[in-house]
Amino acid sequence: MIELPERTRRISPSRLHEILLAHDCKSLVDPFMGLPTHLNYLKRHGIAVHGGDLLEWFVRVGEGLIVNDQTYLRDAEVAEIVEMLPGRIYSLDLFKAWEGVFFSEEQCIYLGVWHDNVRSLRSDQQTGLAILGLWRAFCYWMQKTQSPDDMQDTPPSELAWSYIRQTEQWVTSNMRRNTVRQGDVLATMGARTADALFLAPPPRNSFRSADARIWMWEAWWQGNPYFTIEHAYRDSLLGARAADATSYARAVASILASADPYPVIILQTTEQRIGDIEPLVREARANVTVIAPHPYEIYLVATK
Amino acid sequence: MADVLAWFGAVGDAAMGNAPGFAVRKASLAVALAQTAQLPQSEWHALYFAGLLHAIGAIGNPAYRKGDELSERIARMESWDAPAQGAQICEAIGSLPAETGDMVRWQHEAWDGTGYPDLLRWTGIPRPAQFLGMADRFVRADDPEETLGQIGLESGRAFNPETVRTFSMWFHLSGGEIELVEAPVDALLDAPPDAQTLLERFADRIDAHNGVPGRWRRVAAIAEATAALLSLSDDDARDLAIACRIFGAGEIGEKTVEDEHFDPLARLGVDQRARNASTAAAIALAQPALRSASAIVLARGEWFDGSGKPHGHARSAVPITAGILAAAIAYERLDRGERIDTAAGTQFAPAVVRALMEAAKLRA
Repeated sequence: MIELPERTRRISPSRLHEILLAHDCKSLVDPFMGLPTHLNYLKRHGIAVHGGDLLEWFVRVGEGLIVNDQTYLRDAEVAEIVEMLPGRIYSLDLFKAWEGVFFSEEQCIYLGVWHDNVRSLRSDQQTGLAILGLWRAFCYWMQKTQSPDDMQDTPPSELAWSYIRQTEQWVTSNMRRNTVRQGDVLATMGARTADALFLAPPPRNSFRSADARIWMWEAWWQGNPYFTIEHAYRDSLLGARAADATSYARAVASILASADPYPVIILQTTEQRIGDIEPLVREARANVTVIAPHPYEIYLVATK
Repeated sequence: MADVLAWFGAVGDAAMGNAPGFAVRKASLAVALAQTAQLPQSEWHALYFAGLLHAIGAIGNPAYRKGDELSERIARMESWDAPAQGAQICEAIGSLPAETGDMVRWQHEAWDGTGYPDLLRWTGIPRPAQFLGMADRFVRADDPEETLGQIGLESGRAFNPETVRTFSMWFHLSGGEIELVEAPVDALLDAPPDAQTLLERFADRIDAHNGVPGRWRRVAAIAEATAALLSLSDDDARDLAIACRIFGAGEIGEKTVEDEHFDPLARLGVDQRARNASTAAAIALAQPALRSASAIVLARGEWFDGSGKPHGHARSAVPITAGILAAAIAYERLDRGERIDTAAGTQFAPAVVRALMEAAKLRA
């Protein structure tokens, strides 16, 4: 059975927003955005947000949650995503490699159907919302492998329907331009400037122990069940080239050195990692404040 | 301090439209779940206070406060911020256990990441916060048996499957009966602000929610000056001071403040004034430290001539402190203060009106 790891860090967007307000920041760049629900929160509170990530599905979700101001999926459109449509040819075997290992035959067929249906959507915003909703259904299945007797058996299309319909509630406008891009950290930082830079760098070698719910969904989006996350991280700044502690520290220092145009840097870390990260931040900025509400949630706020 | 916190928690419930006693039941159930799950005892205490104060973020939130006409969608989005706003209030109360604020902040997060405000997911949500969310669901429901089934269906969605198992175990051990827990007052720290300062801050927040910022301060200033001229005892003066700070809680769940549609000296508003007085008094009555002030707040709807409400008491049966409070509230609303003289002998005791007008002159 696949293991679903405990989350070892937490980003609280409401707390992040409090920090931004305290420093009068009205815009933010996050080059390690991951699933951008925290940026959606900040957008809803009037902050102009710009995110970047290496994984394409995160960026696609960003199109739905961050760039998108008013598009959502209506019932008829959701219906065309969650079920097989007559007359369309589907690659039903696309995810057969996962059958029996992670999922049932029916689930693998649905993953193929959803993949093809989502790829056929014409709007980037709708595609992003659909990917998010379907990912939640996928996570439900993964969770059910851990607690099979505790969770309800819900037909795949019904589960997907409820989660996709739910995405509408997060569509909002802040009357600002918000962007997402697929790319490495320095490229994202170079493409945009803002009042604040938010950094939640992945731990060293994290791509080797990534959560299956994250990398498998990239595999699903790519339509390649054999996809591994090492592939996406291969040539990145914090990827294989930063596998040892010295190289990793050098890479983080180079990010901080490139952050000069940003008046405020907020770096999220954990109690376990702060000993390695804090000296690098203090090297880069004169004033550093540590906000440490929990061992898994520590913010280093650095100003000039 | 514990009484002031419990009172404000009950005001939060009123702002959110919850039934009286909701917060105490929610706090007690959350603690029972934490005990069933064998969480450390230190977390029970924070959890109790988080339950007690679970709804305080609604006080002042645009989705609940007066004067904001929001669409359903915008109101829903604004209401998502109430837990974080509640957490900020908790963090400003130095005497609370440190974890209390974040339990309030994350009580409505869902296991699958679809909750609010932070859209945390999975084990990113602390277990005590999950217990608080589950307690909210159960206390809110009409039928315990049905709710047990509904919570089971939410396993893996709103709730962690392990938390659902804990709930199920508690339900079967207790028969679904919530046993009320004593407030762990010993867990409160001796840290600022003190109870009086806190009460004043809460009163400020209530006034802002009601769309009458600073009202209690104006009412208290004239009421206390009037009380001094009437040589009230120290105990009466203290109770009157508390009453000035808590009477606004009666309007917290109303769409408008009293006297917005009626002249404060008109008989037309007598029902609304009495209703607000009863609500504020009921909220305070449960707290021993506020009980005397509660009686003053309740009687402020009475008229000197016996035609007031809720009991129709007349003359000396109406406590003088209640008469002063009622006159000060009316005076604060009047376009011309001297008009209060027209209500002497009917709505207010003549002696109170004379003292109030003299106090007003001295203050001017």
